[in-house]
Amino acid sequence: MTHRFAISRRSMLQGTGAAIALPLLDVMSPHTESAETADTESAAPRRLAYLYFPNGVANGAWDPQQVAPGGTIGSLNRWMEPLKPFQQQLVVIRNMWTPEGNGHGAGTATWLTAGDYNGRRIDAGGVSADQLAARTIGQKTLLPSLELSLRGEGFFSNSLVRNTLSWTSPKTPAPRDIEPRVIFDRMFRRGPASTSERSVLDLVREDARSLKRRGSFADRRKLDEYLESIRSIERKLAFADRQADRSQALKRQLVRPGPGIPDSHREYIRVMFEMIVLAFWADATRVSTFMLDHGQSNRYFNFLDGVKGTWHALSHWKDYDGKTEDDDGTTSWKSAEEKKRMYNLVTRWHHEQLAWFLGRLKSITEGERTLLDHSMIVYGSSIADGHAHAEENLPLLIAGGGGGTIRGGRVLKPRREMSMSRLHLALLQRAGVPIEQFGDAERPTELG
Amino acid sequence: MSTRLVLFSACLLGISPGLPAQEEQAAATSNPLRVTDADLRQARSPQATRDILPILRRYCTGCHGPETSEGGLQLETALNRKPLVRDRDTWNNIAFLVGHRFMPPEDEEQPDDATRRRLVAWIRVQVDEFDYSTINNPGDVPIRRLTHHEYDNTVRDLFGVDVRPASQFPSELSGTSGFDNSANTLFLQPILMERYLGAAEKVLNAALPLEPQTEAQKKAVARILFVRPGGDISDREAASRILDRFLPRAFRRPVPASTRERYVSAVLARLRSGSGFNLAIREILQAALVSPSFLMKSETPLAGDGPTAISDHDLASRLSYFLWATMPDERLTQLADQGTLDQPDMLDAEITRMLADPRAETLGTRFAGQWLGSVHLGTRIRADPIDNPWCTETLMTAMRAETAMFFVSLVRDNQPISRLIDARYTFLNQELAKFYRIGNVRGPKMRRVELKTDQRGGLIGQASLLTVTSFPGRTSPINRGRWILADLLGTPPPPPPPGASELSEELAERSRLSRRQKLELHRKDRRCAACHDAIDPLGLSLENYDWFGRWRTRRRRRTVDASASLPEGHKFSGPAGLRRILLARRHEQLVNQVIRKMLAYSLGRQLEYYDETAVRAIRKTMAANEFRFGTLIRAITRSYPFRNRQRQPDRPSS
Repeated sequence: MTHRFAISRRSMLQGTGAAIALPLLDVMSPHTESAETADTESAAPRRLAYLYFPNGVANGAWDPQQVAPGGTIGSLNRWMEPLKPFQQQLVVIRNMWTPEGNGHGAGTATWLTAGDYNGRRIDAGGVSADQLAARTIGQKTLLPSLELSLRGEGFFSNSLVRNTLSWTSPKTPAPRDIEPRVIFDRMFRRGPASTSERSVLDLVREDARSLKRRGSFADRRKLDEYLESIRSIERKLAFADRQADRSQALKRQLVRPGPGIPDSHREYIRVMFEMIVLAFWADATRVSTFMLDHGQSNRYFNFLDGVKGTWHALSHWKDYDGKTEDDDGTTSWKSAEEKKRMYNLVTRWHHEQLAWFLGRLKSITEGERTLLDHSMIVYGSSIADGHAHAEENLPLLIAGGGGGTIRGGRVLKPRREMSMSRLHLALLQRAGVPIEQFGDAERPTELG
Repeated sequence: MSTRLVLFSACLLGISPGLPAQEEQAAATSNPLRVTDADLRQARSPQATRDILPILRRYCTGCHGPETSEGGLQLETALNRKPLVRDRDTWNNIAFLVGHRFMPPEDEEQPDDATRRRLVAWIRVQVDEFDYSTINNPGDVPIRRLTHHEYDNTVRDLFGVDVRPASQFPSELSGTSGFDNSANTLFLQPILMERYLGAAEKVLNAALPLEPQTEAQKKAVARILFVRPGGDISDREAASRILDRFLPRAFRRPVPASTRERYVSAVLARLRSGSGFNLAIREILQAALVSPSFLMKSETPLAGDGPTAISDHDLASRLSYFLWATMPDERLTQLADQGTLDQPDMLDAEITRMLADPRAETLGTRFAGQWLGSVHLGTRIRADPIDNPWCTETLMTAMRAETAMFFVSLVRDNQPISRLIDARYTFLNQELAKFYRIGNVRGPKMRRVELKTDQRGGLIGQASLLTVTSFPGRTSPINRGRWILADLLGTPPPPPPPGASELSEELAERSRLSRRQKLELHRKDRRCAACHDAIDPLGLSLENYDWFGRWRTRRRRRTVDASASLPEGHKFSGPAGLRRILLARRHEQLVNQVIRKMLAYSLGRQLEYYDETAVRAIRKTMAANEFRFGTLIRAITRSYPFRNRQRQPDRPSS
């Protein structure tokens, strides 16, 4: 353990403790005293997060153990057990998939776009759901959105398709942040004083405009990227000017993380989750994506008791002699059952991290409810069973109340396969994005 | 069908990967799917395309049509994109799948062999026999930012201090061309903009501190802040003179008076608000470092829609970023100012000068390193230091340097491209020489070493490349074979067809077999053999190198068997045999690949179908002079796409 990441340990303690009041954001719902719950609900901004994990889950690991008629969850299974404290705020989804693009590469790149991905061109077939939200509700906050990811380990760590969930245009991947401190600084610290002065920005903006006037269509698009970057710096200056009247509770927790990447993977994931918590809490953004590793993670989970091998190798749990082209060739397992168990343990471990995040959101009071009540957290993968490379019936769930618009504690299982586009449509509409269609979906999934 | 079926890019029309046309005659005489001369003649007839449409409609568009474009393939759209050679890879893929009975899928209606041959022959005629003399398009690259390496180098040459702020920038992703300088992956996002702002401050603090300490700082101050206001020199005049010298260097082109004036006014505004002169100038230079004119590569705007020759300053910039990965130096700029850079003798002399300059080492570290993959050693690919204490940072640095220095030496010595394979020397230091078990090399400095052993020499046998094509802890003949076909020769095999993974599963169960036996069993399956007959033997011939490129004669208590053969039947063994066979039977592919890769790198974009004309012209020039690297570089700098631009049709994204 290092001292540099004190924030995540401290926050963790707070996360399990009592709820913390949040005076600042209460201001945003001025009628608290007299208003009905419904008014409070509509006043609190709704937050939207897409949490992606790679390599799917083993068959059976996503099915609750007991489900009452009507879909009410009786009990989750042993692998999902860490989520039990939030069972009433969960919708476990079955029978949903992304029909256009699937798997480690195309499935990752199109998880949020409803398009397909043809590896010859960089083109995800659409703008991703989070970036659509960033374009509309994101314009009300410091950052339109956050795109978080983890530093890769092993093969494919630089592969664009496996690393990109968020697309600002069908051909433009949004950049990812992998360092906690950098994310914190983007929200809560000023840039270098002399260069980020407005007069400097004005000067270079004029250079861009004059280049743009003479450029081709493709040139103009590139220069728009530049101009948008300048605008985002100006937004940051404005946000920083408003920081003086921040809530005391929030200020106490605005501890800048240490530089670089924490050694412990658990610390790393938690401090990244904490960045989303702080961002949502301070209303620095209302939209976030987070990749809990790239789409074909080859990370070793040997740090877990009883687990050896890389995540992707474990997901091919029927190949256990350690000699397939797919794994490291040195790790071997005794049986498929043993390997499947390890695969499930990795799944469960990630559920523990998700539960920690949900706990943090629940511990923060906003008006009469909690940040979790006002959030819509999608958690899932682009593959079902990793060995079968199954593309249908993806592991997906939603946590959070969506401002009283999502009824939790149940399994949502449409009779026929449903496109994930319908889920995106349902959530985007709730987040306040004025759209009637997403991908080929015109009818949102029923969540209420 | 999965989307990856359209991923590959090869010229393998109904034949095995990497198999030259003349060989194929001998290889498959009795194959009923082999396209015959009669098929080709029929495919050349004027109504051939009209006759093909009913075949596509009957067997293909049910799945690959407007309703369901399985695997991302919509044939109606594809057919409308003319000439079809535009989507060469897609059509080659279709021909491969149809010509090997991978498509249509087994549960759909099957065309007979004659129909398959007709379709394949038609695609071959459309793609291979396309008449390039009908097109005349030099292509274009939009404005794009510098790569992180180019940024560091440019800042270094602008101020004379090596600060390398780009190490703090978010890492770049590799896209389709394989080089980080490819315009379509160079995105400029807010997060990077924030880093640029920080970097500008850092660079100016290091280069022009208000109280210069080091020699480099004093020199930079004297060079850049060469005049101060005072006496009969006004503030405006001093600022103008400084910016007149600085801005054209930083922006790598003549700067319009209006732009210069805006920067001068900004300095004067700062002076009015009480700032000291040096500080005011410094802050404005800092601003120039975040201007798009500095951060981005842009060229003189095109007036019309036709092909237009680039300006002399654009040529200077293209040359210096190609050969040096940095900004043009004073000499190049001067020649561009005079308008003499594009004179053939002058250009020739400049290229000679530039190649001799240390900056030309980027051709090894950036071009060859990315082309061959050695840049990934130590970053993406590394051994666990706890289990492998011998695998030090210095060893991996030496391994990367071996490949880079070797490549640059071939260019500087104007060697033929074939030396990539059969050179009898390499670059080593003591640590790497010991790793190779070669004696008499002392000290950490890399130097040229003549080889007496067959175990090393040329790219085959360089530990960096043998490692990046292995898995951690063990070799992968398939990966190595694929690397030779795809990266070295530019003839990549297609990805495994649907159902391929089930086979490997059955094989894995029979773990008592040796790997060679498994691979042989695997190739007994017709569908796998279609590609693996070409892939596996190449990799197996390198089994004397372990996963980190160390020489071995035994593996798992067996003597290493490095015998192999090409699909057309030539037998060979070990690296020495592989070198011989590559030069005897694959020299043409090697040359084409080097041309294509280097042209793409020099242009900073992926090649399009219309660039084939330039590739062929360069090849012809080289053929007259034993395919030498010096000729290649000169031919590229004279090539049509390097010297011209043409506005491309707008393709707005939705």
